[in-house]
Amino acid sequence: MSAAERRSRLLRLAAGAAFLALVAVLVLIVVSATGNGDGGDTELEGVPEVKELLTGIPQHGMLLGDPQAPVELIEFGDLQCPICAGYSKEILPPIMETRVRDGEVKLAFRNLTILGAESVVAGAAALAAGAQGHGWSFVEIFYRNQAEEESGYAADEAFLKAIARAAGVHNLTKWQADRRQMTQKVEETTEEAHGLGFSGTPSFAIQGPQTNEVQPLGSPGSTDSLESAIDAAG
Amino acid sequence: MSSITEGSLQRTIAFLAALGIGVAAYIAIAAANGDAPVCLAGSNGCETVARSSWSHVAGVNIAVFGIVAYTLLLATAFFTNDLARFGGFVLALGGFGYSVFLTYVELFKIEATCQWCLASALLMTILFALCAARLIAFAGSDAAIPERA
Repeated sequence: MSAAERRSRLLRLAAGAAFLALVAVLVLIVVSATGNGDGGDTELEGVPEVKELLTGIPQHGMLLGDPQAPVELIEFGDLQCPICAGYSKEILPPIMETRVRDGEVKLAFRNLTILGAESVVAGAAALAAGAQGHGWSFVEIFYRNQAEEESGYAADEAFLKAIARAAGVHNLTKWQADRRQMTQKVEETTEEAHGLGFSGTPSFAIQGPQTNEVQPLGSPGSTDSLESAIDAAG
Repeated sequence: MSSITEGSLQRTIAFLAALGIGVAAYIAIAAANGDAPVCLAGSNGCETVARSSWSHVAGVNIAVFGIVAYTLLLATAFFTNDLARFGGFVLALGGFGYSVFLTYVELFKIEATCQWCLASALLMTILFALCAARLIAFAGSDAAIPERA
């Protein structure tokens, strides 16, 4: 084979490779455009249930209920914690539906991250959703979509974005920007919880007219126990 | 292509490939430590991109594929034959095409940009142009292979 023939053959091969590469890139873009990855194709459970539970209850930051409510019930939770999810689904809803909805109690969520680095990422994402008034919706939907602890899901961008969208966060660009600043707050509330003597989640504390300061409750274990604590604090 | 020698193209390709290895290695090491590359000017785009589901293929951080591609490109710069010219072109073409796709993903899917990823995409784009120029200008310039009887 002469040098000219070899050159011609190589250039034809190169042109063919360039054409194939162009087609491959276009196919990748078309496939990704139809199959998201930005959270739009993440199937979430419990979204209608959470909307029904929280609709009509005001949300400010990580506070659920009337900010002027006399009693504040504080949940120190870890978004990856399955027991917290159990509280969210079974124990807290009756209180939300009555005492919180009626303006008697306000519920606060504070991060107590005990399960790993992903909890910090998820907790910061919840606080950033709170900055847009959807913090509790984020927390409640997250709890209903937990997977195996520290398996990667809790810090996955597509998953977090899907939760944020479902929670009602409209300005996702701001939500993204706010998240970094929120990491320190997650660490601060974790320290606060340790200061109250909490090491497990969920842990509750309460503050009201009948308490001098924030009173640790630990993990009451039932709606009735929480109701009693609310009565005592109010 | 009389004013540019193949040697100067090879040296430039080697330099840029070495830079690419550095960029990709930084991203891969940050990911391996559980962190994200640090973006300049306080942007959190790098963290967002690094934590996205697009940052891994089959469980492997894509920066690792970048290290492999840049290393092979560096290797092609040390040989002066058609295999190195064509191999370098194909590697750079693949890297360039994938970089185009990843930049699209950053802009339109993740809605965040990582400066290190953009730097790598820019390097790969320049490398593709240089490898294409090398192939077009110097393909077939080796000694001709004798025809078989």
